[in-house]
Amino acid sequence: MSGQALLETKMLTKHFPGVVANEGINFVLEEGEVHCLFGENGAGKSTLCSCLFGYYRPDGGSIEFKGEPVKFRSPRDSIRYGIGMVHQHFVLVDEFTVLENIIVGTNTEKWSLDLEASENQLKNICDEYGIDLKFNSLVRDLSVGEQQWVEILKSLYLKVEILILDEPTAVLTPEESNKLFKIMHKMGQNGISIIFISHKISEVMLADRVSVMSKGRLIDTVFPRETTPQELTNLMIGREVKLRVIEENDNEYDRSYPILSINNLKYKNKYGKFALNDISLNLYSGEILGLAGVSGNGQKELFESLSGNLNPDSGTISYEGKEIQGRSSRVFMDLGIGLIPDDRYREGLVSDFDISENIILGWQRLNDYTKGFFLNRNNIKRLAEDLIKKFNIMTPSSTVPVSHLSGGNAQKVILARELNHSNKILLANQPTRGLDLGVIEYVYNQIKLKRDEGFAVLLASEELEDLINLCDRIAIISDGEIKGIVEAKSTSIQDIGLLMAGQSETSA
Amino acid sequence: MSELFQEAVIISILAGTLRIMTPILFAAIGELVTQRAGIWNMGVEGTMIMGAFVSYVVATQSDSLPLAILSGILSGMVMGLIIGFMTSTLRVDHFITGLGLNLLVGGLTFFWFRIYVKGGHPPTFTGLENFSIPILASIPILGEVFFNQKPLTYIAILSVPVVSYFLYRTRWGLEIRCLGENPKAIDIKGLSVALRQYIAIIIGSGMTGLGGAFLMLGFSDRFQPDLTAGKGWLAIVAIIAGKWLPKGVFAAVLVFAFLESVAVHVQIIDADIPYQIFFALPYLASIILLILLRRKTNQPARLGVPYFR
Amino acid sequence: MISLEKRLESNISWVLFVYSLACIVGFIFTAFLLWSSGTDIPKAFFALYKGSLSSKKAIFSSLNYATPLILTGLATVVAFRAQIWSIGQEGQVYAGAMSAYFASLMFYGAPLWIHLLLVIAFGALGGALLGVLSAVLKNKFHVNEVISTVMINYIIIFFLSYMVGGGPWTEISDVNTTVYQQSDPVADYSKLPYLFGSTKLHLGFLLAILSAVACHFLIYSTPFGYEIRAMGHNPVALGHRGTNTHKTLLYILILSGAIAGLAGVTEIFGTSHRLKSEALYGLGYTGIIVGMIGGLTPLGTIIAGIIFGGLASGALYMKVLAKVPAALVPTIEGMFLLFFLCAGVAARYKIVVTGKDV
Repeated sequence: MSGQALLETKMLTKHFPGVVANEGINFVLEEGEVHCLFGENGAGKSTLCSCLFGYYRPDGGSIEFKGEPVKFRSPRDSIRYGIGMVHQHFVLVDEFTVLENIIVGTNTEKWSLDLEASENQLKNICDEYGIDLKFNSLVRDLSVGEQQWVEILKSLYLKVEILILDEPTAVLTPEESNKLFKIMHKMGQNGISIIFISHKISEVMLADRVSVMSKGRLIDTVFPRETTPQELTNLMIGREVKLRVIEENDNEYDRSYPILSINNLKYKNKYGKFALNDISLNLYSGEILGLAGVSGNGQKELFESLSGNLNPDSGTISYEGKEIQGRSSRVFMDLGIGLIPDDRYREGLVSDFDISENIILGWQRLNDYTKGFFLNRNNIKRLAEDLIKKFNIMTPSSTVPVSHLSGGNAQKVILARELNHSNKILLANQPTRGLDLGVIEYVYNQIKLKRDEGFAVLLASEELEDLINLCDRIAIISDGEIKGIVEAKSTSIQDIGLLMAGQSETSA
Repeated sequence: MSELFQEAVIISILAGTLRIMTPILFAAIGELVTQRAGIWNMGVEGTMIMGAFVSYVVATQSDSLPLAILSGILSGMVMGLIIGFMTSTLRVDHFITGLGLNLLVGGLTFFWFRIYVKGGHPPTFTGLENFSIPILASIPILGEVFFNQKPLTYIAILSVPVVSYFLYRTRWGLEIRCLGENPKAIDIKGLSVALRQYIAIIIGSGMTGLGGAFLMLGFSDRFQPDLTAGKGWLAIVAIIAGKWLPKGVFAAVLVFAFLESVAVHVQIIDADIPYQIFFALPYLASIILLILLRRKTNQPARLGVPYFR
Repeated sequence: MISLEKRLESNISWVLFVYSLACIVGFIFTAFLLWSSGTDIPKAFFALYKGSLSSKKAIFSSLNYATPLILTGLATVVAFRAQIWSIGQEGQVYAGAMSAYFASLMFYGAPLWIHLLLVIAFGALGGALLGVLSAVLKNKFHVNEVISTVMINYIIIFFLSYMVGGGPWTEISDVNTTVYQQSDPVADYSKLPYLFGSTKLHLGFLLAILSAVACHFLIYSTPFGYEIRAMGHNPVALGHRGTNTHKTLLYILILSGAIAGLAGVTEIFGTSHRLKSEALYGLGYTGIIVGMIGGLTPLGTIIAGIIFGGLASGALYMKVLAKVPAALVPTIEGMFLLFFLCAGVAARYKIVVTGKDV
């Protein structure tokens, strides 16, 4: 760290239709530092980075590179200045090899491809940072962690001076995250300055400097060693909040007879890999069973099997002793099983439909909602208005398309529908992903409420802290296997992290 | 039926296969480039008929076949521009765009044709000549089948390895394939998705136009509105059946061409069996082929999905 | 580079403006086409008016032309609303016509209304069967519906060509009639009756309007219509939450096929009065345009169908009076479709020109 400003924004402003994403941002990246952008979802961190990368063009303000004003009209310009970016959702081609992914779009002079020269160049980079990758394997065959390396190599291959990483640890196990931070600091020593986005307080403390963002504004830039997690969080929220402390969990329930029993579930995905590898779990009424693990380790396939959307290759799913695996989603829903899918806009909502239409999705043929051949508009509207009130959905009316709602309110629509139509089991896959703290709190409270009413809840999340707070038991999933099941009362993030990293535990 | 198995007839069927293959192969290989760039162009049929019509007009006006072929290619490229504008720039649904173009061009060429002939007899032209490759053409059977064809047939076959090289061994090919799988990977490098898609469509539609020109100049001496009779659609089926790989597409086109060649010969030889059955065969075969090959498609992930930032 | 930004609010006057613009540009192009073909443009437009609107007879002729187009348009609406790109309407019209013709021979002698009912029902059935075929190909064998329906269209057209061109339904006459590719005229009592005595507007038009009204209520006010619309917006969510989307697809294609089959009935038994390819050709493809320009709504389809019916009726006069080839009609239709597609984009998005990319 030289203290020299390398990249700087002055009063940078970016609007999207109906949203102010960035407003008057003055941000400074110094040479050789690891700089964290810290803030809630929707605070404008990704937008700022996209502006710095030239992917978005700011509506106002300016960007300076080494004191000179620059205009990034497209990523080509920023790449020319040595800026690289790793996007939160990887931008990789599954069907390409690692090598093809890295070199595509980098050579704009020659017609032919010189694969060998590129490969040699990459080998040197990998050796330097201790990255181990086979350049000829297809990206779709790599683990999520390895795909992250490919993304980073794409930038290193272009010899960047500044690397921007958008939530790089979101998809990594704690162990992989540690490795990433080591490499990030090594890059810093090699003269590469780094900006990374995070909303995890523990990672923020590993940065050289932190800029806190909230509601599109940059609140302050501070040194982590001169502050505390509590102070930073207050800055982010803009008011005094208590960091969540572990509550005493005294939930008691009967573990003699599971309502849902999963035995030796196996499923091979289309690439021939076991997405579910011999999964066995019991779910009891009145409990919240957490499913801890990085996304993409079989959660999706498990939830799809449990909601009738995927037929496992072998194994059984028993509901009160009756086998139901491979039946249709209709059967599962009629048994009183509700589902909050992880991809809410793809699997849970019809965005172009209004709220009331979404409230009856899947139940449109229910007698309550029909009158002869026709839909009973009055009943549907009444229900929708009831639920809007009950679930505190912010909307002018029940006829607003769901696509006009914020992510939190859209999630509440799903929650309202599923809780209104199920009465036994709630399956929730990453229900708080991408939501504000306020909504997260709300979702968790609803889940707890239902647990107390006697629901059995299966809750998958990447937020280990939340799971420990909320759940009665936690199962750890990795590579399609259950690596262990622990009592939430007597475990810690470190324990779970070790299990996720693949160390099996025998005393469950 | 037994006449079908005489040596001369078999040779004629096989030679006919290569001739019928030519226009479909041009269209299919061209459309393969387009589809690899993520554009599901359903306007192949229309592009082909436009290429055929324009080359007809030029051939009858100028008496120059090279000029006619060239204008067929150019008219195909113009069709490609329209498709590109609709799908890549305006992001209209790819299927609808292609259907709309087919309907428009079907009507337009018919309309112009009527205007052109002014109620009289359609003017005719002298079509493409066969070209015998010296020595090789005199090999018995094989010579007649393979080495006594029109030059464009050789070029069509040659286009398979050339396009294959282009797609897999050049940076443009790599970028075009990337568009079909994940256009954002191009976009975030600051490279124009639209420009590359336009290039792919124009290459593809130019080749389709060339196919149309061959259909006109290689088979007939005057234009008919239903000249293409679904050959553009067969080209699309060949791509799906060939799993989006140049070699596979080539094989599928050969199957269709062979069936149609048989149908043509049956119609000439045998009047007992309704000829319509044989003409329906390639279409029936295409459905069966798609049923049989349904496992493991290799379809580009973002084919037909408009790209929004 | 040109990028599109979604408009948050839909502004009615802006929408009207862009669609009107599309119409105007369409007319300019039409005029240009006529001019470039050396036609006397005022004369051509007068002929168009004369053939479509000038008299009761012309208007009824327009409505008769509109009848099958409204029906194939509705078939398009039902399928396209669910984002099922079936373009099998063309083949389904043929299938409907053929199976209705079969019924008219089979049930010859039955009481009039029962006979007519059976003819109509068989027409719907014929179209529906083709719908089942493409649904099975899609559901069981993952064959893209665009491809399968196009292929089936070609096959069925060859089938009709055989049936009336050498096959059992070929016209019986002293001369060799194979080349005419047509059947004997249908029996007088199989013909769809005229609605108002002497005028030639036939029952089919009423059938088309009733079908449109039924489709309107079906799509907007029934659970099945809900499923159609949900399928169009997000089939994944629909399937994940308890609806068997394979079944939905099957029912949609049956319905779409049945309606298209009716179009075949009205054309053969209402207008041309004998089974022939020439009468049916293009009805299905034009229906796609009618449905699209009608905004994929049943009521819009009625309007678009009537406009295109008038165009078709006027085209006859244009051919005779102004020597304009009849192929002008599909040209205009195709052009209007493309302009309407562009207008649709302009209505929904702001078009933003950004910097240059390479």
